[in-house]
Amino acid sequence: MSQFNITTSMTVTETVEEGMFQTENPIHELNRMLVRYDLTPNQAKVYLFLSKIGVKTASEISKALKIPRTETYHLLSTLQQKGIIFSVFGKPTKFNAVGLEESLEILVNNEKSRINELEAGKETLIKLWNIIPKYGEDDEESQDNKFQSLQGRNSILVKLEQMIKESKENILVLGTEADFKRFYFTEFTELLNKTKSELRILTDHTADSPHIFESVLPKKVKKIEDKNREDFCFIIKDDSEVIFFISNNKVKDMLAVWTDSKAFVTTLRSLFSLMWKKSHHIDETDAESLLGSEITYEHRLREIEQEKMILNYLQENFKILDTGKGKN
Amino acid sequence: MSKTSKSNPKERAPSLEVLIIDDNEQITKMLTTFLELKEHKCTVANDGKEGLNIIKENRHDVILLDLAMPEFDGYSVIKDLEENNLLKDHKIIVFTASTITQDELDQLVTRGVTSYLLKPIDIDILLSKLVETANL
Repeated sequence: MSQFNITTSMTVTETVEEGMFQTENPIHELNRMLVRYDLTPNQAKVYLFLSKIGVKTASEISKALKIPRTETYHLLSTLQQKGIIFSVFGKPTKFNAVGLEESLEILVNNEKSRINELEAGKETLIKLWNIIPKYGEDDEESQDNKFQSLQGRNSILVKLEQMIKESKENILVLGTEADFKRFYFTEFTELLNKTKSELRILTDHTADSPHIFESVLPKKVKKIEDKNREDFCFIIKDDSEVIFFISNNKVKDMLAVWTDSKAFVTTLRSLFSLMWKKSHHIDETDAESLLGSEITYEHRLREIEQEKMILNYLQENFKILDTGKGKN
Repeated sequence: MSKTSKSNPKERAPSLEVLIIDDNEQITKMLTTFLELKEHKCTVANDGKEGLNIIKENRHDVILLDLAMPEFDGYSVIKDLEENNLLKDHKIIVFTASTITQDELDQLVTRGVTSYLLKPIDIDILLSKLVETANL
């Protein structure tokens, strides 16, 4: 009876297993996503298998997932250490998985603790580094124009956050909302908000859609008027460093280049200033923008009045001149 | 870019050399025409930075300076001249449409600005103020 039960169970398991990790199956997508939570593909596979199938021995898992037995033991041991599976007392030992929601919570907390540990170790590492004497001259190297290629959202974000945190003078941001939407739910906009540097943002925005910079003071944001705005996106820090995005809309994985090249920074800084001057603030009405953002309506009226007064005088004088000519 | 009006050699030498620093091109163009009609010579700068460079390189009998300009405004011009001890070397008339209090105007004069005119102002009054300031 027991033999029959196991065989039946194995058959069902194997059949389920056959479909579970096929590419079109959502479990495949789940497996891929779990890898982002610091699991290897096989660890994720074992975890998901146990979550869906229930209590199994190492041998059954190995057979069903076609993973060598020794590796399966290692995988189970690691997953146990991570706290997302547990063993059931008995012989042979059986395993079962903690629920997905709880497991995700555990994995996220594991990552958080790891980051905290890294953060805590940073100071010690720097102290140790400073104890070691320098053996070479690096003055020349530091004066060179440095270029750093950054691929992927995370590496770009880390660099951006570093730039904003270190900025002492100004931060100039240019790009479409689509470019910056990739940084939703990150510290990016929060850091921009907190910065004590002068902040200027040039972006496209339509009044009927919420925009990513809505928490930033409107006077710091202007609408890009340039028709080619979708072709470039960059952020300048203190007129000394720039990070610019490459083919941002065409490549799936984000690609950017950071540089402190004076020529690059100066060129992009000039471009930004030119566009800033031409653009108007995000909260301005069309009428206000026509009048100029930094000049009040009253101010403009007085200017027009002055223009009119000079013009009247000139018209009168030219009339006299014309009449004089006519008489001659 | 500064624009210096070409004087006709057959005409009398301009009685005054006036520097106009104002971002409003309509006003600078019309004022230039008006002052040339009155046989004065004009130099124009449409932003504060450019105006400041001209002040440092050339002497003018009188300078008409707008206060509200984008980027580098009239206040910045005054501050820079003040910091370089040059403010009192020039005859500057602040020519503005900004909402500015009498106290603020008096403060500018105390700091070394020669005089002020608030836009809009009658063109004949403007001319007489120019001549009067230049002859101080």
